[in-house]
Amino acid sequence: MKQDQIGDEFMEYPLIRECIANGVYFSSITDKKFKHNRISVNLIVKLDREKVTDRAVVPFILRQGSKNCPDFTDLNKKLCDLYGASLDAGVDKIGEYQMITLGIIGVDNRFALSGEDMVQECTRMLCEIVLEPDITDGKFNVKNTELEKQYLLETISSEINDKRTYANIRCKDIMCKNEACAIKKYGYAEDAQKITPESAAKAYQELIETAQVEIMFEGCGDPNAAKEIFRKKFAEITRNPISITKCCTRPQQGEVKQVVEKMDVKQGKLVMGFRVENMDSYTKMNAERVAIGLFGGTASSFLFKNVREKMSLCYYCSSQYDRHTGIMMVYSGVEAANAQKAKEAILAQLEMMQRGDFSEKDLEETKLFFKTALKATGDSLGAMDSWYLAQIMGGTEVSPDMEIELCSKVTKQDVIDAVNCVKLDTVYMLMPQDEKEGE
Amino acid sequence: MKQEIVRNERIGEEYLRIEHPSGLTMLLYPMKGFSTSYAMFSTKYGSIDVCFKTEKDKDFVTVPAGIAHYLEHKMFESEDGDAFDRYAKTGASANAFTSFDKTCYLFACSDQFRESIEILLDFVTDPYFTKETVEKEQGIIAQEIRMYDDDPGWRVMFNLLESMYQKNSVKVDIAGTVESIAQINADLLYRCYNTFYNLNNMVLTVAGNFDPQDVIDAADQVLKKAEPIQIERKVEEEPAEVARKRFVQHLPVATPMFYIGFKSPNAGETQNFRNMIYDEMILDLVTGETTELYKKLYEQGLINGGIIGETMAGRDYLCSMISGESKDPDSVYEQIAEAFEQAKMNGIADEDFERIKKSTYGRYLGMFGKPESIAAATVNCYFAGMDLYELIELVANSTKEELMERLKADFLTENSSISIVMA
Repeated sequence: MKQDQIGDEFMEYPLIRECIANGVYFSSITDKKFKHNRISVNLIVKLDREKVTDRAVVPFILRQGSKNCPDFTDLNKKLCDLYGASLDAGVDKIGEYQMITLGIIGVDNRFALSGEDMVQECTRMLCEIVLEPDITDGKFNVKNTELEKQYLLETISSEINDKRTYANIRCKDIMCKNEACAIKKYGYAEDAQKITPESAAKAYQELIETAQVEIMFEGCGDPNAAKEIFRKKFAEITRNPISITKCCTRPQQGEVKQVVEKMDVKQGKLVMGFRVENMDSYTKMNAERVAIGLFGGTASSFLFKNVREKMSLCYYCSSQYDRHTGIMMVYSGVEAANAQKAKEAILAQLEMMQRGDFSEKDLEETKLFFKTALKATGDSLGAMDSWYLAQIMGGTEVSPDMEIELCSKVTKQDVIDAVNCVKLDTVYMLMPQDEKEGE
Repeated sequence: MKQEIVRNERIGEEYLRIEHPSGLTMLLYPMKGFSTSYAMFSTKYGSIDVCFKTEKDKDFVTVPAGIAHYLEHKMFESEDGDAFDRYAKTGASANAFTSFDKTCYLFACSDQFRESIEILLDFVTDPYFTKETVEKEQGIIAQEIRMYDDDPGWRVMFNLLESMYQKNSVKVDIAGTVESIAQINADLLYRCYNTFYNLNNMVLTVAGNFDPQDVIDAADQVLKKAEPIQIERKVEEEPAEVARKRFVQHLPVATPMFYIGFKSPNAGETQNFRNMIYDEMILDLVTGETTELYKKLYEQGLINGGIIGETMAGRDYLCSMISGESKDPDSVYEQIAEAFEQAKMNGIADEDFERIKKSTYGRYLGMFGKPESIAAATVNCYFAGMDLYELIELVANSTKEELMERLKADFLTENSSISIVMA
């Protein structure tokens, strides 16, 4: 991806990122207005069908305790003593990469009633959890592994609980069959059954040795104290890290895939997957983002205003663009009888935009919407974390302020060009058992 | 116009309380360094207000379940377009929600605050619905209700409320039912509107990056003086006992989901809210991640995904709920009830109490770091008859004795229920 000339010259990229060990990066962004610090370690590896499941269980076992504090209850007591600092474990997926995260959020030093150095205490705890796990003779704690394995199995099977998410995942499964980005972030039940204390410890070792490590510090405290602790700890590890490359979008090929599935539900779901092609610059991706916002990403978008409000065809109807995979999805909740009509109406909105049949006012409103959302990024530690990790993953250095500037320059023609890069790939319907979708 | 600065030394912050001549109270919390501002215009009117009268009405009127939520949907329309269209011109991101005891209209913005606050004040004080527009909404809301019918997480919670409460309307779904909303018409909507959307029954809270003078100017320009109003809400006496101890619904879920609830005595609106803070601390002390109970349940493989404790308070209800997923919810219920009995007998250890106090303090401090949390907490406190800073002071000054008293009064096994959703 080429980094285009973005923003004015005086606009600086505020994230400070430094390599502190082989393939280990420490990034920080601070602002005095906050009362907390958020520190996270993100282990990033390529999604791998064979290894994804063993890797997915790792953060949850780590969260149970370290070598120094193997007992979960004692660990949580320590967190309470740190003014209720929260220690979170998670698995995420960005494009074709799996991201294992362990993070801690704690109040800043100035609010500690007994003068504790909260930044150092929180960093040490996080370091212990990530780098000094409860592994003996190449095995994780047997009991913890068994429990977290069961939980992973439950998480995998609970995909079905929320029908909205379930339908979204099913559509993407069908659309991206055999592509890395379709590999599930929590892995697969048949593999989770086979997790052992050895296999999980092996997955852990491999993660620590081969993952690209992105350590993020956001908040109001001094990041240097945290950085030095991490630098020292990672210096003790021999590493052979991967490096992140941009994921390539597969173009839409052949016929549009259409799948209807039945389930015991009262409300139907219609999900449509599109390929976004030819996104070879950040400027183009930005225009795509604005275009898809105008199509279905805001409360004044065409999908919301026309398909939902005017035609009353869906209870919800929105679009989302993932620039890491180059995929646009349209999500909607429909009555079974309206499913076909809703599909046609959604496509009609897209064609309308492709013809340039929208006003400058519509475009300006969408830009304003993005401006508000982008400005809000800097007010939330969590939003900043996601933003800057996405920049790192995409190999770009664009701040929310720079993106506002970019958005403001998007023209009507840019939007028309952007929507013309969108190609329908898959239509998925989840329908109630006793009714038929309308003709 | 009465203006007052409310200050808290502990966190070194302050906000402005204004009694506007129109009758509206405004609570304004500017925050240095933030880019966005968050405004909420709220009426003390929610799904539980289904039987009421004002001092001018002769009789109580009973309205269909779900009407407060229906009204919220309809408020966005006016004779010349809808509020979303107007907000689109300022770039504000707008929304609204209805809960048991309030309806809130809100927006977040980074620019053109003055224009956005004017839109907010204007459209909420300007109702417009006709027979046609009311009927059109029925389809949309019926869809929303159906979506919740498919949502096991929503069902398991409402089934618990239905199990705990015999009379209180808190047991009825906020959106009502497909049948109840079919009875809603424009006249009923106006009746509700004219009763509850009186500025004396409302509050405006703003937090973040804004100039309080802009709010005052917009209010001066848009708001007309509202006549004082006395609203009487008819409430049926709720017995201490739960309606049923156990309820199971079958829906397609992977692992059974459960909600366990303790129904606590009603101590009046403000005191219920204070008790809620104590009860949250008790939930943490007895069922939180630092407890022996949690460890035991986890090691038995009964709560792999953890459990969540929450307390809910309103004008005439207070209850605590513990939820999660488990292969054996009944065993979880039994062990939780047992842990509360043990805590009552053995008391609370000093170090446990101090630890929970510290972590609760940290959590409430976190609330003061986000404009949206401040705006929301300010509304809740105001309607409960409390000041915002009382929250953090209540935690900081809490004693073990106060918690023991609540533990004994609010967590009785005989007044508890379990709701389960399983395949």
